[in-house]
Amino acid sequence: MGAGDGMRIIDSDVHPWINGDIEGLLPYLGMAWRRRFEGRTRLPDHPLRPPLAGATSIRGDARPPGGGAGGSDPAYMAEDLLDRYGIEHAVLSSIQAGKLATLPNTEEAVVLARAFNDFFLNEWLSVDSRYKLAACVAPHDPLEAAKEIRRIGSEEGVVAIFLPLLNTLMGNRRYYPIYEAAQEFGLPILIHPTGTEGGFQTSVAFAGGVPSTYIERHTVFPEVAMGNLASLVFEGVFARFPGLKLVMAEFGYGWVPHVLWRMDQNWREFRREVPWIDREPSGYVLDRVRFTTQPAEEPEKEEYLLQILEMIHADRTLIFSTDYPHWDNDVPKSTFRSVPEPTRQRIFYDNAAELFGLRTPAEV
Amino acid sequence: MEHHVGHVTQIPEREALIVTINGRSIGIFKVDGRLYAVKNVCPHKQAPLCRGTVGGTMLPSRPGELEFGLDGGVLKCPWHGWEFDLSTGECLFGVSDRRVATYPVEVRDEQVYLKLR
Ligand code: FES
Repeated sequence: MGAGDGMRIIDSDVHPWINGDIEGLLPYLGMAWRRRFEGRTRLPDHPLRPPLAGATSIRGDARPPGGGAGGSDPAYMAEDLLDRYGIEHAVLSSIQAGKLATLPNTEEAVVLARAFNDFFLNEWLSVDSRYKLAACVAPHDPLEAAKEIRRIGSEEGVVAIFLPLLNTLMGNRRYYPIYEAAQEFGLPILIHPTGTEGGFQTSVAFAGGVPSTYIERHTVFPEVAMGNLASLVFEGVFARFPGLKLVMAEFGYGWVPHVLWRMDQNWREFRREVPWIDREPSGYVLDRVRFTTQPAEEPEKEEYLLQILEMIHADRTLIFSTDYPHWDNDVPKSTFRSVPEPTRQRIFYDNAAELFGLRTPAEV
Repeated sequence: MEHHVGHVTQIPEREALIVTINGRSIGIFKVDGRLYAVKNVCPHKQAPLCRGTVGGTMLPSRPGELEFGLDGGVLKCPWHGWEFDLSTGECLFGVSDRRVATYPVEVRDEQVYLKLR
């Protein structure tokens, strides 16, 4: 049934779940590491939980009939998400891997990142070829992260590198080995709120202080994206890595016009401070950065949505996502109904197909 | 038009029995002996509303104060958590003016009947 009108769909933000956290990864860890994690197989939750049933962000009605958490059964997800909405490819990123950002121990983070990738390659991508993976890396050690990219970067179905952020802006040169490896394999870097922001000493801090409720921290996620976008652009990362692409998943898009205009305005005033930026900074963003649609914003008037899409050149920059199986997922048939063709098709399929190199054999 | 749903013991407490009548998916709820019937489509983004949870909620209050109420009278959507009045289908506290359809439901001789217009 798809979007209800025969449209083609790629879903760029889907979250598989591993029952028991590290417990589920044990088969992918060596003996000594299994011992090391004994009795501490749970990855920590941010203390501010969503005020929803079970205080979890996973939809209660997405629970697989065979048991386990919503999102933990690849066969059921194929039915409940891919078949139901006619989704051709679903890019998986793991929220549990995002919690690597809470770990103070580098070795543990590196070993777990590897285990996450082996788990998803083995237990998800092999089940259904519609699943694609944003393979994770531990940000703690960029050299190890680059090694991991080179280890799994040419595996069938790996289409992006999920980088859970620590509290260092992305323009910082410590990340360069990661960008270099991602560029080498033609894989975009994908960032996503890790859900750990503001909750742990190692994770990203919110601007100004610590939010005290879920509603507050959920409202201000976009500031993480704004800060990192300015950092990447002005530190010259896009100029340094001409093949590097970035996906900002689930950070919203209504804020993008403001940041683009402000960057351009500031560049006209302060160009001499960043002389390696030899064009309007917004140009880098339009060429190299993609934003996902979910949670689709609900402006006061529907026409404002169309205006914002025009301001951000959505026919190039926006890619559809559901965020299944989370509480705030957007399903195709009720998303962007007022957006006209051909922009709608670009958002739901073409932009992501170009970004991730996903084309059906007939099109290649 | 009246439809026979089943025996009253088939309706679980505070959880929906989901039935399909004339192609319409409807959740029948029982809370403290009272029955409710609600259309199983959330007016926000069409989630299967009746797979949400029945309970109470925090009533509007002064900053810093919490007052829990309406226990058993609130149906919360499993997706974005919008809260609806189980009996009227209204979205609570001005969150939205959209409402979900509710239907009259009746028990006679321990059998449950639903009236659809
Ligand atoms: S679909 Fe029910 S609250 Fe959004």
